[in-house]
Amino acid sequence: MTTEWKLFADLAERAGDKHVTVDASAGDTVGDALEELLDGRSELTERVQTDDGELRSQINVLRNGTNVLVEEEGLETELEAGDELALFPPVSGGCCSQ
Amino acid sequence: MHVLGIQNRDATRETLERVVDRVVDRLSREGRIGVVRYDATIADGTHATHDSTTLGGDVTYDLGADGDWTASGTGLSVGDALDRLAPTCEFAVVVGVSRLRYPTIHVGSDGEPDADDAGTVLATVDSPAELESDALVTALAEAEPHRTLESLVARVKREPTADRSGAIATFTGRVRAKDDDDDAPTEYLEFEKYDEVADERMAALERDLEARAGVFAVELYHRTGVVETGEDIVFVVVLAGHREEAFRTVEDGINRLKDEVPLFKKEVTVEDEFWVHDRP
Repeated sequence: MTTEWKLFADLAERAGDKHVTVDASAGDTVGDALEELLDGRSELTERVQTDDGELRSQINVLRNGTNVLVEEEGLETELEAGDELALFPPVSGGCCSQ
Repeated sequence: MHVLGIQNRDATRETLERVVDRVVDRLSREGRIGVVRYDATIADGTHATHDSTTLGGDVTYDLGADGDWTASGTGLSVGDALDRLAPTCEFAVVVGVSRLRYPTIHVGSDGEPDADDAGTVLATVDSPAELESDALVTALAEAEPHRTLESLVARVKREPTADRSGAIATFTGRVRAKDDDDDAPTEYLEFEKYDEVADERMAALERDLEARAGVFAVELYHRTGVVETGEDIVFVVVLAGHREEAFRTVEDGINRLKDEVPLFKKEVTVEDEFWVHDRP
């Protein structure tokens, strides 16, 4: 099974595509899917992770429109079949903090 | 208001007119419809074949019975005409204008696609019989609507609760050329939207603000794609009982829209191009 990432703004430019399908399925975590996404994409990796491999604080990760970092279990959140993941930089005021 | 372009690609004048007739007829079943035609023979505010005695007048309205009218004038662009239709029409059809940013039908199939056309081509037909008009209505309804401040104000005034409203407050965000005298002038902004999520959040925000005491209706609208310097980007319109809650809700509405709705802004100046969140 695969899961689709949607990328926005400069993140899409760095990844070279707005849509990336990765090898991750129900039972895997959002973090697993992120690892698959970043694998072989150094420019994108540099933009979204610190040197220690931590997600940068201003990067948003959404699962089906919900911010996993705020309302779910962060990168430990488990995927369900058919999930849509999204990765994006801050919106002008710091999107999705509610 | 949803806008549809109809462009002649190598068909006869008569075929084009029959396609326009068919489309206008179908759309008029859905709501009030405006038609904008580009005709280069119109000059100095009069039509070449019009027998009006007004020559070179700025604007002339000829009024008839029951509010029927004709008009002529100067200084009106296609965009201006659409802005004027937006408050009262559900649909507009624009005939004979290329490089529209709206969905378009091509009549005839002259093979060369115009690289400058920003809108999607919904259909290419050689005759009115080839039009799948129900599919056309569906596709058009899904396309991004043309909204103006006036059209949103007109919409809230039509709300059933409007007779209890003593105040409408609005906010308009627009593309500023420069923030400081020394800045490189901005040419345009380009907005990218996380479609489904942005639409959901805008709708949720409208409902949330409408639940406030004394607030009857809230309309939020944000353009996407390229928005040039001086053009409007975003509108917030609030219909309320009194001015206090109208003002407060407009301010909270624009602030929360900017915080909560996934829209990304790229700025293109005469010197540079950058995503706005990338700048300190």
